[in-house]
Amino acid sequence: MQTPLFLILFLIALTSLCDTINQLFLKSTIDSLNFQPTFNILKILKFIWRLVRIPRLWIGFIFSVISLCIWLFVLSKSDLNFAFSADSMHYIFIALASGLILKEHISRLRLVGTLVIVLGIILVSL
Amino acid sequence: MSKKKVTLKILALLIASDILETAIHFFFKKSVLAESSFQVTNVSSAALFIKTAFSSPYLWAGLFVVVCVFIVWSTILSKIDLSVAVPIASFSYILVPLVSIIFLHEQISLLRWAGIIFILFGVALVSLSSKERIA
Repeated sequence: MQTPLFLILFLIALTSLCDTINQLFLKSTIDSLNFQPTFNILKILKFIWRLVRIPRLWIGFIFSVISLCIWLFVLSKSDLNFAFSADSMHYIFIALASGLILKEHISRLRLVGTLVIVLGIILVSL
Repeated sequence: MSKKKVTLKILALLIASDILETAIHFFFKKSVLAESSFQVTNVSSAALFIKTAFSSPYLWAGLFVVVCVFIVWSTILSKIDLSVAVPIASFSYILVPLVSIIFLHEQISLLRWAGIIFILFGVALVSLSSKERIA
């Protein structure tokens, strides 16, 4: 039995959504630590150690595990080249989440790029 | 914060990240290749599906490469800007379809190739816009 295309696309959207939620948790966890970029390995390790003790990070991690499980199911039902290309829709979710939740400024160039990706996904799905 | 330009070493790392990224998805696909007719209808069949996937060595190979990519990618980003790194690293959008054709015997229509080029172009625009923001 062939899995319908809309179901596959819905599931890919779901993995992208889970990935985006993971990224948001990761971003907010990292921001809360006020970390300054450094090349000092010891400082980086210390930073990671502080990071992994924040529960919010693990909530994000749970979402990335869910994303992996859905992704495996998608891959079992569709061609790799299609699934991989369609997975670029996480750029759309990231742009939406950055603008709406993180209140970041979305430049015109980014908007155009995101729309071009949407167009690409539509072509790939045809 | 401006960073150094793309050196030969960075370029090698970027190409490595492309190849590794492609390997991840190839391994993940291989791990569920035998499960293509697996029907997931309820929680227990979903659990069985996941359990079967995780019993494949391909899946663990894929997860191992995920860790490798993370290390390579962290190194790249400590040396060059994200807006420069992402368009070069997006080469995997071409590499994955090629691997799909050669090793998985998938077929890709011209229309789909056109879509892939659009996605590649869009990703490049999105990552270039991060440069705009910093500058």
